[in-house]
Amino acid sequence: MLLRVSSEMQGEEADLSAIIDSAAAQKSGVAHGASLIAFADAVVDGDDESLERARAALLAAVGPEALVDAAGVVGNFQRMVRIADSTGIPLDGPVNLFTADLREDLALNAFGSAENTPQPSAPLRALARCLAPLAGYAFRIVGRLYRG
Amino acid sequence: MPEPVSFEGSPVDVREDIVAAHSLFWRRLAQAGTWWSGAQRVAIAAEVRAARACRLCGERKAALSPHAVSGEHDCSEEGRAALPDVAIDAVHRVTTDASRLGKTWLEKTLAGGISDAQYIELVDVVVAVTSIDFVCRGLGAALHPLPEPVPGEPSRVRPASARMEEAWLPMIPSGGARGSEADLWRGRTGNVIRAMSLVPEAVRDLKSLSAAHYLAVEQVTDPGVGRTLTRPQIELLAARVASLNQCFY
Repeated sequence: MLLRVSSEMQGEEADLSAIIDSAAAQKSGVAHGASLIAFADAVVDGDDESLERARAALLAAVGPEALVDAAGVVGNFQRMVRIADSTGIPLDGPVNLFTADLREDLALNAFGSAENTPQPSAPLRALARCLAPLAGYAFRIVGRLYRG
Repeated sequence: MPEPVSFEGSPVDVREDIVAAHSLFWRRLAQAGTWWSGAQRVAIAAEVRAARACRLCGERKAALSPHAVSGEHDCSEEGRAALPDVAIDAVHRVTTDASRLGKTWLEKTLAGGISDAQYIELVDVVVAVTSIDFVCRGLGAALHPLPEPVPGEPSRVRPASARMEEAWLPMIPSGGARGSEADLWRGRTGNVIRAMSLVPEAVRDLKSLSAAHYLAVEQVTDPGVGRTLTRPQIELLAARVASLNQCFY
């Protein structure tokens, strides 16, 4: 959801299939998306040689400060996924509602941890579709309530 | 005092806030926590690294069901000396196959002799070390050497407001971070921040490392905030990593 909302704020449209299909990385719509995805794949699952190549390619594409950002984000989400999966937390209500169609499109409901989140009812999903153009605003309003 | 971590081998300079956050956690790792001693916390960290090369974990990960494969884990010396078997198994599973954990497995783990709060502190150490190690890997730097444990007694602080809600374990209610837990979040917060709130220090670790690796918790819900990477680039990486881990969240 944050990928979609932040892309829209920048006047871009991200192709979210790149999240689940590295072959679609070239058309992600995000600048240097293919290099970023190749780097994430190599850090998480790759051998040392493929990681070296992906790191060098990303460094050439985005520079040293952004490479550090990228390594930080990959490390961060190696943590966040394990927190969610090892504690059984469900998606927060507004995120669950506004991403229901997206999760279906990307087949994310097939992941085991989907069992921890009840699916929103059909009427609520229909309402969420109507309100989808306002999702960015809604996200920021909810964000002010959820101040961390 | 010299920093307990370095990024030797990295082809690029690493931001000061990342060095500081890693150093802070590494010092805390060596000390007694809320429910585990310093030696046990360092042993959990050693098991995280042992799990990545564990044959049993590899076989389980490849199996259709993680319950179909039994055997003994390849353990670290520290883990074998300081941790009960049930804790070693939990460290290995959270490290290598977290997406297939379930409530029934957790109930058996807790019945095996560790408390719910001990489990949360174990998860905190596992996920923090995982995060730090993968940042080093991404940068081509050597992993930080594990610290020497510091003697001391766990604080055994359990927040009185923690209760069972939607997750598998008690959490502090969204609007309920008050008193000695008032610094954890202001107002309401999301489930992923509350997930480890049965051990407030775990939430403090999460906030400190997330602020350096990703964004401060307060910035996450503002989609206009980025770093040198733009926010869409950051979120593309985040979503891809979640997908590679088969994480629905």
